[in-house]
Order: sequence, then structure tokens, then C-alpha cells
Amino acid sequence: MHSTSKSREDHLFLLTTSLSGRDQWQFAIGVLVVLVAALLVTVPFASIALEHTEALLPAYATAVFIVDLVTATLLLALFSVQRSSAVLALSLGYLFSGAMILPWALTFPGVSASLGLPDAGLQTTAMIATVRRLSFPLFVLAYALMKDSDTFLRTPQGTERNIIVMSVTGVIVIALALTWLVVANDDALPTFMRDEMHVSDLWHYVPATAVGLSLAGLLSLWRGRCSVLDLWLMVVLCSSLIEIILLSYVSSGLRLSVGWWAGRLYGLISASIVLLVLLSETMTLYARLARSVLAERRTRDARITAMEALSASIAHEVNQPLASMVTNADAGMRWLGRSPPDLPEAKAALERIVNDGHRTAKVIDGIRTMFKKGTQERVPADVNQLIVETLKRSRSETHLARISVQTELYETLPLVTGCPVQLEQVISNLVANSIDAMTAVSSRERVLRIQTAPQGSDRILVSVEDSGSGMTPDCKERIFEPFFTTKPDGMGMGLIFCRWIIEAHGGRLWMMDNEPHGTIFQFTLPRADAPIFLTGERT
Amino acid sequence: MSTDQSLVFIIDDDPSMRASIESLVRSVGHTAQSFASTREFMLSELPEVSGCLVLDVRLPGQSGLEFQQELARSDVHFPVIFITGHGDVPMSVSAMKAGAIEFLTKPFRDQDLLDAIHRGLEIDRDRKAEAVMLAELRQRYKSLTPREREVMPLVASGWLNKQIAAELDLSDITVKVHRAQVMRKMEAKSLPDLVRFSDKLALATQKR
Repeated sequence: MHSTSKSREDHLFLLTTSLSGRDQWQFAIGVLVVLVAALLVTVPFASIALEHTEALLPAYATAVFIVDLVTATLLLALFSVQRSSAVLALSLGYLFSGAMILPWALTFPGVSASLGLPDAGLQTTAMIATVRRLSFPLFVLAYALMKDSDTFLRTPQGTERNIIVMSVTGVIVIALALTWLVVANDDALPTFMRDEMHVSDLWHYVPATAVGLSLAGLLSLWRGRCSVLDLWLMVVLCSSLIEIILLSYVSSGLRLSVGWWAGRLYGLISASIVLLVLLSETMTLYARLARSVLAERRTRDARITAMEALSASIAHEVNQPLASMVTNADAGMRWLGRSPPDLPEAKAALERIVNDGHRTAKVIDGIRTMFKKGTQERVPADVNQLIVETLKRSRSETHLARISVQTELYETLPLVTGCPVQLEQVISNLVANSIDAMTAVSSRERVLRIQTAPQGSDRILVSVEDSGSGMTPDCKERIFEPFFTTKPDGMGMGLIFCRWIIEAHGGRLWMMDNEPHGTIFQFTLPRADAPIFLTGERT
Repeated sequence: MSTDQSLVFIIDDDPSMRASIESLVRSVGHTAQSFASTREFMLSELPEVSGCLVLDVRLPGQSGLEFQQELARSDVHFPVIFITGHGDVPMSVSAMKAGAIEFLTKPFRDQDLLDAIHRGLEIDRDRKAEAVMLAELRQRYKSLTPREREVMPLVASGWLNKQIAAELDLSDITVKVHRAQVMRKMEAKSLPDLVRFSDKLALATQKR
């Protein structure tokens, strides 16, 4: 059970698993509307017989054969990745349908003669057509019933090839056997045809059954999740319904009539459209997959760089008080080693060691919060709320520094997907920077302004502005370098972490000058409902 | 250990590190003065004593390495000892090339720092003594008359009185008098002394 759900997640980018979008629905419905319109246009001329057009049948059959074969191959490839038996059933359906079109065309009255083959019996072609007509909706029905019940193969990986070879061979053998049975036992077949052109009453059960099976298939595809493949299968079923209506009712079963040919052509055209759409969808999904792999790799690279910076900073941050402790201890020993020992100096050195110890503990504590449980998990987060909470916590600080805090938070700001703990760290880091930048300012008002707003259709923008003294060009250049700091007790890592966190969330962080004084730090974050985050919830 | 007239300047942004180094330096009897930044150091009135600098590489604003270059430009010649929390080889190489006498990685052994400080102070004392000496020599040289200044380099180059007399178109006796005056005014006890002084002055002149 566990492994199947996992394999589902692995294949987020397959035809069977990616949900059909709105534009695809529109396109599919457009195709159907055109087909129905064509059906209506054809109706008045449907019964006109087109003599001697059976010569075109082999070409038609070849086209159908190739389209079915390519579709079957595409689906088999999909099966080899996804190992879903539903997909296997569907691809075998296409294969069977493609395999049966050849004997159908070859036994068609007039065609066999022109190809120099012995004439088949009167009922042979109709019987083969019946098998084709009824088998395809059955295969689709099988697919529709199996697709949602997670019937993934339990066999070990690597056996797909054998399964494909076996089932393809099986389908071909069955197709050959059926053909042979039908051709050899023409006398025993039910009477579908009155003569070479006209169907008997018995035939009318065949399209009726086919319509019923197609409708059943449509219904079972309709319910539940509708993937890209499901959507286009519904188009296939609808167009085959139109084909049946044209073939069997509008043209009243008259072979080689306008309606008969139109039905076949519509069927072929819609099958080709479906195939083309599936191919282009496969390419699109593949491109999306490639993009997401790339994005993932970038995130990982950024994380590695950040890890290097982080370990360097840990080393530095712990080393600093450690060095101080060692030197203080050395000094203390030297003070004690004097004669007479200088106790006040030694005591002062020991006190500094105690302070350094506490300082180290604080550093380690800070590092630990960076990796606190939950920093890896991504949830929908409200940046406005994070800002409000951060400001609440630094209220005493801003109050003490007589900084007036102004917020312009966009009321219906879209959510972002991310780790709230880390995002809050970024905000509080930027706020702390702004406060520090303004403590030296006395000639003008100290203003900390935080704004949020949507940017474009897929991001949000957060600005943290101060009215501090701004930055020298040299500072600006180096502000994102590790260990660069303008603060006496700064670690020179804060902005690096901020940038790392924001970039790991798919956003950007930068700084610019504020007018007339101070600095603005801005960052963007992708909205939770932006396309790249497929799992995001819409708000 | 001589304690007179020498100062150790400590520049480190970390207050505890600063205090610990200062304490260590004082515990062996040196006088120390510490600063939180290079700016603070440059703005303070530095006493006219020999000294050396203990400089943190990573400082707010200007880095220790940049500061070393600035010092060289602004004619402050204290020997520099670098301490760093994240020393790497290229950094230490460039520091040493620029004339640092030691490059220590935190945490360092106290004896290493103290040794470096002693070395630095000694270098600075020698340099100071040299400077005092040179100033003195210049003073003496100034007291020479134009004629004596003509005679001095020739004497120092080993010319005989007769040759100098011919060169400057003077009598032997006059040259002899000038020569005696030069030796007296330059306080040279012997000819080699005068040669050395003349060398130093010439070098100094070239340097200027």
C-alpha cells in the first residue's frame, strides 16, 4: 500500500496523473462541437451511395492502423513507467483495434478481389467489424474501472518489459486466431448482411450495444479525478459515438455511402487529434518535469552553498569566544604566577571566561533554532501575520529606540508556501538591521516602514524600509558577503541566511537606497497558488 | 624585559578578545592600549613611543589587511601582528608580504603572541633608534659650511688630501683644515665612522 502511494507521487508528471486543465477542457469541447456540426452537415447527404470507393479502404485502414499502433505504443511506454494495469488494458485495446482493422479491410467486398485474395464470405467483414466495435469500448471501460482503484503491478521492478512482450504477443495471437475463426467459419456466422451493401435487422443490435458500452465508458470516466488522458478518452468515445450514429443510423447502415464514409473519416480525424494532443501533452509534461528538476537542483545547490557558509559561520562564531577564553585563561595563569599573585586581575580574566562561555552557549542555541524541527516542512504561510508577530516581539526595542513603525500590509495578500519559522527569521533579521541602522540617527525621525503587496500574478513583494544613514557604495557591494558586518557585535551572516532562506523558497532578496535617507530591503516569494507549487491550495 | 617607553596597540572588535589580549600583555609587564576599530585608533593621539600593533583581520568597516596598507601609506611604521579567526593561506601570505611580522590563528598559544610582540617591539625600538640617529646626523651635516660639504664626500670616498686639493683647486693646508672641521662637526672618531655616516645620509637622501 505504502509503495503504491509513493509511486503515485513519483509520477506527478504523467498523462494519467496530471489533472486536465481548463484550456484542455475547452479544446476538447471545441473538437466535439466541430464533430457534431460536421455530423449535422452530413445528415442530408448521408444516404447517397458512392460506388466503387472501396478502393480507398486499404488507405483508410492503414491510417487507422498506424494511429492505433502509435497510440498503443505511447500508452505502453506510459505503462512501463507507471506500472498501472489500467493503462496496460487501454493500450492493449488500441493494439487490438489496430490489429483487427487489417483483416476487416482485406475481407471487405471488392477489396479482396482487387488485391487478388480469395473472396471471403458475406458475413466475415461484418463479424470482424462487430468484434472491433464492441471490444474497444470494453477495453476503455476496463481502463476506467481500474484506474482509480490503484491496481499497480505488484511484480518487482524490471518485469514490465516481459509483461509488455507477453501481452502484445497475446493480443496479436488472439487477433490472428479470431480472424482465422471468422474467415474459416463464414457459414456458421450470424447473418449481419443482407447483401454486400445492405445490413440485416440483426446488425442493428451491434451499434446499439456499442453505444451502450461507450456510454458506460463515458460515465465511468466522468466520475472521479479526470486526468489529461481521461479527458481525451472521453473525446474518443464521443467521436466514436458520432461515428456509430453516422455509420449505422443516419446512413441506415448503407455501406460506402456518404454518411458511412463521413463517419469513418470523423473517427480517423478525431483519433489523430487525440493522438497529437497526447503527444504534445507528453512533451509539455516532460518539459515541466525537466523544469522542476532544474529548479530542485538549483535549490539544492543554493542549500549546499548555504551549508558551507553556515559551517564556516559556526566555526567562526564558536571559535571567537573560544579564542577569547583561551587567551583569558593564559592571562589569568600569568597573573597568578606573578609574585605576589595579582588576584584582582586573575579574577577579571576568570569573569571574562565565564561570559565567553555563556556567549558560546547562546551562539549554539541560535544555530540550533536554525535547524529546529519544522524548518524543513512547507505549509501555507501568511506573511502579513508573520510581520505582525515579528513587530510585536520587537516592540520594546523599537519603543526604546523611539522608532515609529508604519505598516502598509495588503489586506488580501495571497499565501505563500514555506517554512514559517524561517520566513519569520528573515523578517526579524531585516527588522533588526533597520533598527540598528537608525539608532545613530538623531537629526530626523526614525521610521521603520514595512509594506506587502502582490507582484505580478505569481509573487508577493515585501519591503522593509528604514530612515537610517544608508550605506556607502563599498558597503552595498559587500553587504551579502559572508562575515561582512558593520556592527560591533555582528556575525556578518544574517543577510546571507536571509538570502539563502528566500532563495530556497523560490524568491529573491535585494537592497536599494531609500529616498531621501536610509535603505530598503525587498524580497519576493512565489504565491502558494503559483503554478510551480502544484500542491499549493487555492485561496 | 624592558617596559620603558613601549606600547602594545590592540585593535579587535570583540570586547572580550580585546580585554583578554590586553590582560595577557599587561601580565608580562607591557603597557597596552586597545581600540574597537581602526578608525578609533587613527583618531587617537598616539604617544611618541616605540610600539607594535596586534590587529584582528576581520574588523567592522575596514578589514585589518586594508588597514595595514593604509598605515604604510600614512607613514605609521609600527610592526603589525595579525590575529584571525578564519585564517587562510593566501590571506596570511599577503599579510606577511605587506610586512606583518606574524600571522596567528585564533585560538593562539599565548607564548607565540608574546614572542611576536617582543620581536615587534624590538624591531620598532631599533627602527626608532635608527631614526633618532639619522635625525642627529642630519643636524650635524647641516652645521657644515658649503666648502666642508664639498670636502666630506671626497674624504669619505677615500681621496687623499692632495687629490682633493687638486680637484677643488685649494691648497693642501686648507683641505687639511676643512677635513679636521668635518670630522669634528660630524663627531666622527675615525675615517670609517665618517664613511658610515656619509653612507647613511646618502641613503636617506636617496630615500627621500
